[in-house]
Amino acid sequence: MSSISSRLRPTAAALGGLGPSQPVTGLVWRSGSLIAIIFILALLAWRAPLLLSPGNIGLVLAQASIVGTLGFALTLVVAAGGRDLVKGGIDLSLAANLGLSAALYASLLTAGWGDLPALGLTLLAGLGVGLLNALAVTVIGILPLLATLATMSVCAGAELVLTENLTVPASSPFLDWLAGQGPLDFPVMAWALLVLAAILALLLHGTPLGLRLYGVGGNPAAARAAGLRVRFYLALSYVLAGLLAAVAAVLAVAFTSAATPGSDEMLLPLIVTTFLGTVFSSRLRPTIGGTLLSALFVGFLVNGFQLLAISSYWANGIQGFLILVVVATTRKLGPGARR
Amino acid sequence: MSRPETALAPDEDAYLSLSGLTKRFGGVQALAGAKLLVRKGEIHGLVGQNGAGKSTMIKILAGLVQADAGQIHIGGRDLADARPRDVEAAGIHFIHQERMLVPDFTVAEALFLGHEVRLGPFLARRRMQASAQALMQRYFGRVLPGNRLIAELSTGEQQIVQIVRALLQEPQVLVLDEPTAALVRAEIDHLFEALNRLRAGGMTVVYISHYLSEIEALCDRVTVLRNGQTVATVDPRHTSSREIASLMVARDLNEMFPARVASKGRPVLSARALGDGRNFQDVTFTLHAGEVLGLTGLQGSGAKELLRSLFGLDRITSGEVSIEDRPFRARSPREAAAQGVAFVPEDRRHQGAILEMSIAANMTLANLARFSWRGLLRPRLEREVATRMISELAIKAEGPDAVVASLSGGNQQKVVLAKWLTRAAPLYILDEPTLGVDVAAKIEIYELVQRLARDGAAILVLSNDLDELVGITHRILVMYRGRTASSIPAATTSPAALLDVILTGQSEIAHVVH
Repeated sequence: MSSISSRLRPTAAALGGLGPSQPVTGLVWRSGSLIAIIFILALLAWRAPLLLSPGNIGLVLAQASIVGTLGFALTLVVAAGGRDLVKGGIDLSLAANLGLSAALYASLLTAGWGDLPALGLTLLAGLGVGLLNALAVTVIGILPLLATLATMSVCAGAELVLTENLTVPASSPFLDWLAGQGPLDFPVMAWALLVLAAILALLLHGTPLGLRLYGVGGNPAAARAAGLRVRFYLALSYVLAGLLAAVAAVLAVAFTSAATPGSDEMLLPLIVTTFLGTVFSSRLRPTIGGTLLSALFVGFLVNGFQLLAISSYWANGIQGFLILVVVATTRKLGPGARR
Repeated sequence: MSRPETALAPDEDAYLSLSGLTKRFGGVQALAGAKLLVRKGEIHGLVGQNGAGKSTMIKILAGLVQADAGQIHIGGRDLADARPRDVEAAGIHFIHQERMLVPDFTVAEALFLGHEVRLGPFLARRRMQASAQALMQRYFGRVLPGNRLIAELSTGEQQIVQIVRALLQEPQVLVLDEPTAALVRAEIDHLFEALNRLRAGGMTVVYISHYLSEIEALCDRVTVLRNGQTVATVDPRHTSSREIASLMVARDLNEMFPARVASKGRPVLSARALGDGRNFQDVTFTLHAGEVLGLTGLQGSGAKELLRSLFGLDRITSGEVSIEDRPFRARSPREAAAQGVAFVPEDRRHQGAILEMSIAANMTLANLARFSWRGLLRPRLEREVATRMISELAIKAEGPDAVVASLSGGNQQKVVLAKWLTRAAPLYILDEPTLGVDVAAKIEIYELVQRLARDGAAILVLSNDLDELVGITHRILVMYRGRTASSIPAATTSPAALLDVILTGQSEIAHVVH
């Protein structure tokens, strides 16, 4: 036996050898996508010169702040849950959570609540929905796809009960400030998006907490072997996402001075935003920076179509198409996609 | 057969002690009162066949799997029912067989996950990268840039990252589960150097390996597991590898290669001037009923490609092949199978068996026609045949309904073989049939090959295991740079002589034989 194995050893090495590491085909695909995105933007800017005027940029940023914030929320969930679309991290309830939180916020203000208590309660509500998701996923062990689908209908139902499917107008000094212009003649909401992105980027990419979230998502077994409490980090991602949905709700109420029905239409754009954002990451994974850039890209795309007076239905179709392309290619090429 | 039943060391000597460990997975008894006693500062080998319970034992120690019964102590501290972090806190660190790394992490991130170097509340990325590099250099004498991604590393490099990751925690006890399986020679030497240095520094090491030569070179004592029980703990300086091996398998290794079938029948497969226009050309050979033909060669010699093209995975562009005097042309494995070729692929995880399905269903898949009647499956017959195959091949499983994924690697390979046995094919093509399986499973596979030959099948075996080629085949076809270098009768050659032909393409032996 020893003679077999000792003789076998150099033989096996001579015959088989160890292959070199795989070439990074993702790089080619990635730079191709980036070029396509720049090309599309350049085309829009050429046909609609107004697109890149400072006032319009501010508007696009302010508009993008809502879906961008939701995108950040999903980024956290996907980072900690893994990129497998079926078994990995996904939160379908984010848009409905926004709808419920916005309705609650507007209703509280209309009922005469002060800015601070109304804001506090709204954030708590969003957090509560996130907690519900976290419990369903980590304690009960339901697939995130199903768990958050259930939470989504709970939120949508609760919103209808609260608003009876009507628009709830809202105004307050805080909302007025939020909807106004900030430093450098930029909308406050645009600033809000950038500041939020900076904070979350620091959290996810600069702290041990962020590294652990990615670790839990990238290989739960490895994270467990590293002594991490996998379920805690998983739960945390859903709770933070719920909180961010409430933040997005406040921005949405500020943007339209009301809580309006139809938040479910936000679901597809927010998924596009997060998964398209992976293109901007060298490791093809969702990052805060990538999500911010793709939120801006989608924002400029929709805005450009409006400027060119092209039907907004086209924008919907293109977003759906982007999802297909991005998901298909990350599945094929992403480092996590390999078995 | 001599069997040294060396007495186990008394408990009070042991620094780390596992005793009375029992664990059942469904109907499979993985551990039945196994015991492991490790002294402080020694390198303790743990050996046993696949399925002997080594991995289960280590997973229980790591707190990843709960034992049904048993005690674990380290330095007098009770570790039964401990969680992974408690075990780490007790100073025991593991290098598992599975790659416990996050694929899209950088080397530095993977090394420090869970024990990050901080700068205030933030990650000190640059410091982590610098110390990652320093550690690699110190323990393995090689530079692995701290910002490379894990997914871009070779398997050996990933293994190094895992080992360094464990060393980072300055463990009291280091447990390595098959650490060299993916390493090349130089990396193994570095690992052994590092382990010897660690032992000199007082570290206790538990070392699990298939390679008894490694155990011999490295270990102070060796514990042998068999069928979930501890057979003996021996000193490798006084017990030969051969004796250790027979403790593992409880059978004499001379019996490893069953007797070859003597008779040679009519030609089954004949190939004339075969070529695929790229990897091999002008290959001519004949394979007879009852004959086992070996096929080997260096990577790039065309041996693998020749085998693949015979099963319709690659295209043949020139020459002629016939099976039982009928011209053979296969553009897909489906066509090849229809013309009487049974193929057992090397990559059985992906090509050979459907892991989520039961043993019975897997066996049936290759031969649906036999197990169905007017389009309906016949589950009774399916189960009957599966049950017979399980006992004939000694597949270690609960029964025909057991899911293939729950079996050990060697047993999965046997299921793939059984799958093809449910149909009587005139020609069997086996691609590395014993790669990664343990000694006992190898013996069963060898016996199976001989049984097929005895029943009149022709068998083509691609292998890089030279002992195996010499032991089980009649003739060995050596490929060299796309051509057949030689056709060597197995009875007149030795593994060493065979290796010479493989490496040089020169076949002096063959001439002597002629």
